[in-house]
Amino acid sequence: MDNIDKTIDNIKNNENVYSTGRVIKVGKYNIEVSGLNDVAFYEAINIGNKASGYVMGIYPNKVIVSLVNIEEEIVPGDIVYSLKKEFKCLFSLDSMGKVIDIFGNDLIAGKKFDKLVEVPIENPPLSIMDRSAVNRELLTGISGIDLMYPIGKGQRQLIIGDKKTGKTQIGLDTIVNQKGKKVICIYVALGKTKKEVKDIYIELTKRGAASYTIIIASFNDELPTRTYLTPYVATSIAESFMMQKYDVLVVFDDLKKHADVYREISLTSNKTPGRDAYPSDIFYTHSRLLEKGAQHINGGSITMLPIVETKSSDITDYISTNIISICDGQLVLSSKNFARGEKPAINYGLSVSRLGGAVQTPDMKKVGTKLRRELLSYLEVREVYELANIDEMSKELQKKMKDGKVILDKLKQYKFNPRTKEEMKADFNFLLEETQENNSSNNTNSNQNDNKENNPSKETTNNQKENNK
Amino acid sequence: MESGKIISIFDISIEVVLNDKSIKVGDILVTQDNKYSFEVVEINNVSAKCISLHSTRGLKKGTPVIKISSGVEVEYSDKILGRIFNSYGDVIDKKEFISANKRKTDHPTTTLEELNIESQILWTGIKVIDFFAPLQKGFKMGLLGGAGVGKTVLIKEMIHNIYTSLNSNAVFTGIGERSREGQELYSEMKESNLLDKMSMAYGQMGDNPVSRSKAVYTGLTMAEYLRDEKKQDVLLFIDNIYRFIQAKSEIATELKQILIGNGYPSDMASEISKIEERINSNQNGSITSVQAIYIPADDLTDESVQTIMSYMDGQIVLDRKTAELGIYPAIDVFNSNSKLIDIERIGERHFNLVEQVIKTLNRYQELEEIITVLGIEELSEEDKGIFYRARKLRNYFSQPMFVAEAYTNIPGQFVKIEDVLIDVENILSGKYDDIDESKFLFIGKYHD
Repeated sequence: MDNIDKTIDNIKNNENVYSTGRVIKVGKYNIEVSGLNDVAFYEAINIGNKASGYVMGIYPNKVIVSLVNIEEEIVPGDIVYSLKKEFKCLFSLDSMGKVIDIFGNDLIAGKKFDKLVEVPIENPPLSIMDRSAVNRELLTGISGIDLMYPIGKGQRQLIIGDKKTGKTQIGLDTIVNQKGKKVICIYVALGKTKKEVKDIYIELTKRGAASYTIIIASFNDELPTRTYLTPYVATSIAESFMMQKYDVLVVFDDLKKHADVYREISLTSNKTPGRDAYPSDIFYTHSRLLEKGAQHINGGSITMLPIVETKSSDITDYISTNIISICDGQLVLSSKNFARGEKPAINYGLSVSRLGGAVQTPDMKKVGTKLRRELLSYLEVREVYELANIDEMSKELQKKMKDGKVILDKLKQYKFNPRTKEEMKADFNFLLEETQENNSSNNTNSNQNDNKENNPSKETTNNQKENNK
Repeated sequence: MESGKIISIFDISIEVVLNDKSIKVGDILVTQDNKYSFEVVEINNVSAKCISLHSTRGLKKGTPVIKISSGVEVEYSDKILGRIFNSYGDVIDKKEFISANKRKTDHPTTTLEELNIESQILWTGIKVIDFFAPLQKGFKMGLLGGAGVGKTVLIKEMIHNIYTSLNSNAVFTGIGERSREGQELYSEMKESNLLDKMSMAYGQMGDNPVSRSKAVYTGLTMAEYLRDEKKQDVLLFIDNIYRFIQAKSEIATELKQILIGNGYPSDMASEISKIEERINSNQNGSITSVQAIYIPADDLTDESVQTIMSYMDGQIVLDRKTAELGIYPAIDVFNSNSKLIDIERIGERHFNLVEQVIKTLNRYQELEEIITVLGIEELSEEDKGIFYRARKLRNYFSQPMFVAEAYTNIPGQFVKIEDVLIDVENILSGKYDDIDESKFLFIGKYHD
């Protein structure tokens, strides 16, 4: 309001409201402008009605403007107006259940929202003293995750894997499972196809997630600068909810594409390339984004599920290791498991949660810890002994092989088929019962022969239950 | 007095036309409203190239700047203890702070004349570290492989033990790591009443590269205060030193400098040297450092990792498998080592015992695979002996920690190295063959 009053005053006093300049060089999405002597870094800029953008470089005799929107072709000589305010994006509170972009457009309806608020591209980083411990659970409804690699409110958990391994699906499952749990969900589509985004929109709406979910999308046929800004703006929106003490879940799908877009922008603006031709600040590009995932001291939180696509299951490439080192853990999906029908195709050996049991309730932690230990030791021996004759094995190993198969079977779960904590605990409680019986004879968990008999009847009933689903 | 006016702004790199001839490299300039501050990195006759300490959003060409100091300064007094600082030496714990004495964080490295390498071994009282990778005062140890396997607990225990045995304080420097971990360390230190025994400096991964590159100097200056003024043997933790070089790369790119392979700055070796050569012992005391090292793209041959490693005197490797067995501290004894493991430094007895223990544990790993398939009865008598003794050793190198008393309900133990050597000798010789292996788990010394 102040701004408008001031502007009106300025007009009355016959002062220059906008400072203007002229385009002297046109690039793909950067232009050089002469004049504009009084602009600030990151100030909003219009090129008539043709395009808009922001100041990304100020030099003694020129200004570089990065464009985020081009309606008409720009030619040298066009008049450029600076708007005397920081470049901001637009957001409407009516966005729930809609597919939106960062400029306040409802993409499904194909029009701009009526009531819009400005959101900054980025807020300053959250101080260490404004954070508090991440220790509240955020349930995905997937047994393999909630029991063994749990996610807490304020945690950043990476989902990483090849094409077609169900990465997006885990994000969507998690969103659907937040129904009635007072969590605002934001799904950020970066470089996805329009078909994919519409499909996700329909799926989420169909499953009743629309009332608490916003889909923010940017597509490859738009300017790369837009895709680059989208996750930051989405995070600013999430932060405004967090500051009002809401719990927010943000899914970034996916950050590898974001990295590639940023590489394109950097190379086009002549930044020196580093490893794999990414600019040196590619780590900071993602670290400052993901550091906004936090449990705020006021009670609100932002949980982040960034997704990264890999090639031929290589999680040790530059972008993957960068993001792994930022996040609080990773869920690795394997195309091998996917092909075997082990869905969700989580590679339990490579997945990690750095917060682990801290974000689980004690009952879940108890089952989860035991389950993870049993499963990992089974997976370790499975590769070697899968083809061996089971009768020649030690009893201990026989039991491990049998138990392992049961566990894997119970971990299978179809999409949009969430389980409650009670169902999960009931599924795997048999592991705990065994230990209690075993406790007296053997507590070092391996290497002795006096193992108990299995309980075949129980297994079959459990299997049947599974099949019925 | 006005020192100059801003003429160009490109992200964190800005240029100032000078009207003050006395401006030097390293000076700090601020705008009149104190909202923006810059460090001078290059000067010529008419202008100065600067890097911005904060975001430059909203900054305008033509803004006048004034000089406020000749470099980043940090408190140089007892008041640093129990407090938490940002990279630029300002307290961030929202409590009042009255500065008593400040000092520039830029300080010369230790000269050959001052350098004291004839120092004693620094016993931590943690069996597995003292036995396999003992520290010497002034040592630099790499800390590898370890998130979620008890790194913080280990760091806390070291701070606790070194404080109780030497009455020395510690400094923790967080560089480009997770802010969540910073918050956790702070509140855990508070809970275990260790907060007033250390000070912390953070430039975390959400901060701009200038902040991340400066945190280490702030931490170092505080450590130097404790060493030189309080004559202590200081413990300095740096997590993570690689992030310093990473931040330097980003700054070099913004300044349009020519980079070497993988985007590292060309002065990388000297920049690391300027830090590592400050972490030394002198006649006043010592700074012993434990430095976490991130390995980019899992590439151990990475040039910056190699450069950092060349300064290390040893390494402590944390191991997820050991942690999963519930044995803490979860140290990978095969890959942890120290320059001190040398007959002339620790003596023949300790040296031989280390060799024997490694041999035994190595054989144990082989035997474990055989047993999984065939069962233990198939082993030869000799192998059986090795097997059971190795399990006792493995259990023996676990330890109840003072800082974990609240969770484990077992009182912490500070174990002298002489006791460790006697116990290990007895286990290896078979003296304890009749004793159940569970008796060795989470104890201090075993013999009377």
